[in-house]
Amino acid sequence: MPQIFDRSSNALARMSLVLSGILVIALGVTLDQLQRSPWVTRQGQRADQPVPFSHKHHVQGLGLQCQYCHTTVEKSSYAGIPPTRTCMNCHAQIWTNAALLAPVRNSWATGQSIPWIKVHDLPDFVYFNHSIHVNKGIGCSTCHGRVDEMPLMYAQNTLQMEWCLDCHRNPAKNLRPTSQIYNMAWEKPSQDKPVWCSAVPGESGVPTADSVSCVTKDPATNAAAAAALAPPVLLMKAALTSGGAQGADPSYTKFTSQDALGHFLLAHYKIKTPQQITSCDTCHR
Amino acid sequence: MSKINPSAKSADNDAGNAVNNDNNNAQDARSGAGAPMTLDAVRAQLQGVKGKKFWRSLDELADSPEFRAEVEREFPSAAQEWLDPVSRRGFLRLMGASMALAGLAGCTKQPDETIYPYVKAPEDLILGKPMYFATAHPFPTGGVPLLMKSDEFRPIKVDGNPEHPYNRGGSDPYSQGTLLDLYDPDRSKKVTYRGEDREWMDFAQALREKVQESKDGTGIYFLSATITSPTLARQWQAVQAAYPKAKLVQYDPAIAGTYAEKGINTRYALSAADVIVSLDADFLSSASYPGFHGLVRDYANRRKDPAAGMNRLYAVESMTTTTGMKAEHRLKLRASEIPAFAAELAKAVGVAGVQPPAYAWTSEQQAFLAALAKDLKANAGKSAVLPGMYQDASVAELAQAINAALGNVGKTVFVSQETVNPLPSDQIADLKALVADLNAGKVDWLVILNANPIYTTPADLNFASAFNKANIVAHLGSHMDETGQIAHWHVPAAHYLESWSDVRAYDGTVSIVQPMIDPLYGGHTAHHVLQMLLNDPLVSPYDAVRATWQQVLAKNNKGDFELGWRKSLHDGWVEGTAFDTAAKANVPAEFHGSVPAPASQETLEIIYRPDPSIYDGRWSNVGWLQELPKPILNLSWDNAAIVSGYTLTKLGLKEDDIVELNVGGKRVQAPVVVAPGHPDNSVTVYLGYGREFAGRVGSGAGFNAYLIRTVNAPFYTAGSLRKLDGKWGVAITKSHYQDHRGARFGQQGSGDNSLEADEALGPRGIIRYATLEEFKVNPNFAHEGEGRETPESDTSLFPNWQYNEAAWGMSIDMNSCVGCNACIVSCYAENNIAVVGKQQVRIGRDMQWIRIDTYFEGDLAAPRAHFQPMNCQQCENAPCEQVCPVGATVHSSEGLNVMVYNRCIGTRYCSNNCPYKVRRFNFLLFSDYETESLKLMRNPDVTVRTRGVMEKCSYCVQRISAAKITADKENRPVRDGEIITACQQACPAEAIVFGDLNDKTSRAAKLRANQRTYQVIADVNTRPRTTYMAEVLNLNPELEATPAEHMPAKG
Repeated sequence: MPQIFDRSSNALARMSLVLSGILVIALGVTLDQLQRSPWVTRQGQRADQPVPFSHKHHVQGLGLQCQYCHTTVEKSSYAGIPPTRTCMNCHAQIWTNAALLAPVRNSWATGQSIPWIKVHDLPDFVYFNHSIHVNKGIGCSTCHGRVDEMPLMYAQNTLQMEWCLDCHRNPAKNLRPTSQIYNMAWEKPSQDKPVWCSAVPGESGVPTADSVSCVTKDPATNAAAAAALAPPVLLMKAALTSGGAQGADPSYTKFTSQDALGHFLLAHYKIKTPQQITSCDTCHR
Repeated sequence: MSKINPSAKSADNDAGNAVNNDNNNAQDARSGAGAPMTLDAVRAQLQGVKGKKFWRSLDELADSPEFRAEVEREFPSAAQEWLDPVSRRGFLRLMGASMALAGLAGCTKQPDETIYPYVKAPEDLILGKPMYFATAHPFPTGGVPLLMKSDEFRPIKVDGNPEHPYNRGGSDPYSQGTLLDLYDPDRSKKVTYRGEDREWMDFAQALREKVQESKDGTGIYFLSATITSPTLARQWQAVQAAYPKAKLVQYDPAIAGTYAEKGINTRYALSAADVIVSLDADFLSSASYPGFHGLVRDYANRRKDPAAGMNRLYAVESMTTTTGMKAEHRLKLRASEIPAFAAELAKAVGVAGVQPPAYAWTSEQQAFLAALAKDLKANAGKSAVLPGMYQDASVAELAQAINAALGNVGKTVFVSQETVNPLPSDQIADLKALVADLNAGKVDWLVILNANPIYTTPADLNFASAFNKANIVAHLGSHMDETGQIAHWHVPAAHYLESWSDVRAYDGTVSIVQPMIDPLYGGHTAHHVLQMLLNDPLVSPYDAVRATWQQVLAKNNKGDFELGWRKSLHDGWVEGTAFDTAAKANVPAEFHGSVPAPASQETLEIIYRPDPSIYDGRWSNVGWLQELPKPILNLSWDNAAIVSGYTLTKLGLKEDDIVELNVGGKRVQAPVVVAPGHPDNSVTVYLGYGREFAGRVGSGAGFNAYLIRTVNAPFYTAGSLRKLDGKWGVAITKSHYQDHRGARFGQQGSGDNSLEADEALGPRGIIRYATLEEFKVNPNFAHEGEGRETPESDTSLFPNWQYNEAAWGMSIDMNSCVGCNACIVSCYAENNIAVVGKQQVRIGRDMQWIRIDTYFEGDLAAPRAHFQPMNCQQCENAPCEQVCPVGATVHSSEGLNVMVYNRCIGTRYCSNNCPYKVRRFNFLLFSDYETESLKLMRNPDVTVRTRGVMEKCSYCVQRISAAKITADKENRPVRDGEIITACQQACPAEAIVFGDLNDKTSRAAKLRANQRTYQVIADVNTRPRTTYMAEVLNLNPELEATPAEHMPAKG
């Protein structure tokens, strides 16, 4: 009886063994990549919104402050989506007949909400709190990217747990002075662009935002600018302690790297330890 | 046992041996295992047992083979089995598919979600931050002042108003449960006339025209639930003035015939009472007793620090209640014996004119009476005697006279001229007159306001047939209930959280009931109905309430009514409306009425009580309350014929047998259940069950005890009982959650006994207590003696955790806890806990995160009970964390055992390994994701758990997080008392204290350092964060010395 398989099929058999191994690995890698892909995370995707609202136009072009619309970002877990009334504050006067704004006018007339599609959509078992982040030196652009350069809103980041943990394990690399939270163009300090900061020593019970003041111009040469950027509470204190004389240098430290600034702020903003903020109950309940 | 009491200790050891021997004998005798447990066996177990010996259920007491089998299975039978029949082939197919999908499960893409922003945002709303509003729960025994938590203007949590002078933040299961009542999807939604849809104005017009037509109101009758609102009373008086012949009948089945219907005007200041006597007054069980919240708080405050002087509670009662179980000395009497006993007591303390009926008291009863009278006289002016509501009228009068004779009036007892409810009436006489008028055809229109007489009236009135003789019946009610079904008009009623009204609390303080939400289904209130008959029919309840308090508020605030109004809305009460305590009423220390003689010993008495969970049936459709295990019985979803062990044996019954109760020819079928310590030859039945049209939850649960209630004897009467075939299938949660590693870890007991339960077999120190004398000699009693050692903290293979910031801990004072269940219902609301239904409870799948373990001690017929709230102990060395294969239960940096629901794959290893049995598993999809109205109710800060996920008490981690974030933003540590857990918040006894153990100045840390504090099952080195404070009992030495053997002679 002749053999069914000739000797050459041995090679095939070996190859198929190797191939199936590769296939399994490839499947794993594919799934892994798929899970992180924009197809699943919607990172970078522009949703089909009822009104093609341009953050670029409103923020960069018109200079609206973030909190003009997202009013509760410092107070609540939820930053807030503006009510139609906020749109109508201006659009009752300008672009009153623009076809693009028909849904807004319609909402105003009928009292029905504008149905926006959620761009940053966390799973329901995750409890994120905006207020603690902006109060502790995480700027809007750290998570949301250069919103002022987005004609249509999209998610800059995956919002997956590994992305959250990446920062929670080492918050220092993203901290900035709270005076710069809404600064879309904020850049991490470098040799070319240093940052000078001074801290209110050992005070407890004052809001985090008031405990440090930072400037991007050398306070020694530009005392007025330093005063302009410092929070009002500090100014008052400075005024009280220095007998009203502006520009008294409250011992500013110069930072030329994010690492140094981050650790300075970590200490002064009393950021909890990575062990504490990576504890599961920080986000899951 | 403490070291100072070696004799007690040896007695205890003897007891342990005796039990073990008995076990062997019993098992030899029943080698054929499987024979049902009999009471004889129980009795044999207890024979000769003295000392502290605890048990939780009869099965456990008998240590029957069935009980052992249950223990080995850990959960009640079937709790962990796959119930649906699935073939092997089908199973493999399913498994194959799920294996293939397992890797992909995480890859699901979230669907697009829509954001619906406001068009015009409310000015003061910060989305994501709850707001709090003061209001009050109108309840016929007095309003309960509340502080509601409102998220986006949806009320999501009911709690007591912490600043109110009456309840100081305490609440009760009823008030907690009203939240689910508001969002009940079965509430009626439409005005109907003969089944056809109508508008409110159609009804209002029809009624107004009819009344105007009648000129003087002839033929117009109103049947209302007890009127609690001063404004409604004012509106009624205006209606009465305009239409003098219109009639108002108030009827509440749990109020009619009690002294409460005449208006509650007696108050007790238990904070000043050293001796408290309950004459069938169940003031520690539920809000059905007037003044519950204040009484519990004052009672518990005097037990928090035994060294500072404790009170002593005596209870004389006709059924087993938590009041009796908390009492230092309890005497069970049949209901009909209590008036005579009260008369004897009155005579003994010197009330003039009292003539107790002749009765052959047993020597034990005489001894109790003598000791009680002596103690009362020794504490004249520092004692209080509380009469039961569901007793003969003479008991309340006698209690008043006793208090007067002892000089308590003006010191611990205050009598006011005003009453809590504004229109006191004789409800039963009025109801009888109404039925007579109905039968005589005098009733043209019968308008029923928030009452359900078809269901709640005693059967012998034949209300349903009289009802049909009215020309038109209109029904204002929240549900299309038994009455709504057959009324011509049905008008949906607004919930109290949807409408304006007012109410007086037990201390007389007026609270404005302000709405939290617009009526969900366009409901209307009794205010609307009565106003409709007046000249200004469109005055809203809001304006009516403002008009009522216009003068008082203007006077209080120097003429500025608006200021006063806003202040009283903000604070939750109207200043200066509390009853005057200074005015001493003239209460004579004499009694000249007649006292009914006790019924003969052989008469079987049937006792009617409102249900501790669903009251008179009004909350039948509230799943939280239905599923709540009733105190003492741990019975959920049913009522039962509750009897004593002796009566059970005498009638040849077993628990869960179906019996037929017969009262004057009216019959009803009921399951029989034993309450330890229940008086013999009497049967207690709870009202409120057996509803036909309660809704999807309450319809069909239990049996209708109103069917055997008689109008002339609404509280207790003679009846008979007959055994029928079959078993009812009650759901009792008592013997759930056993564990069987006692032998391995603790080296105690017989080897496979349950941890939680083997107090019965050997000392495990789960319940620790001492008498006041013992405590004074040795305040460290809770830590000395067998089974009370706590291992060193380095006795573990695992390295110790470091807690650098907070270390959350909870202290539960067993001396204060009265077992009222408020914490459980509060936890339901706070943590979105699912209701599972009776069948699931029967197989042990109830989801409550906190339970009240009731440990009975000693004699089956006259036990003492210890209530131990048991929630997750948040062990520092947690057995659950060590066995989770997927890291779904992990240790937080602050010492919480946190559950990560999205990681849980449902192995249930954690639950297996939990010695406290506090983990709950979603065997099925218990959470309701579909019903729209329930979505509004959920706490947005807590995940709604799906099927296949383990859950447990989290110490309200969402509240901890919120407080931490607030504190962190302000750059300060979390303040002590800033975080209050839901159970702590609800507790009227303030038995639960939560806080940071690392902060040595916190209340929780101080209590933890207290010598009475002990850990449960600490010997297995779990190092729990929840600790308990051992009880101290202030026993009367004269009664202590005479423990009686209560077991009846065999046969």
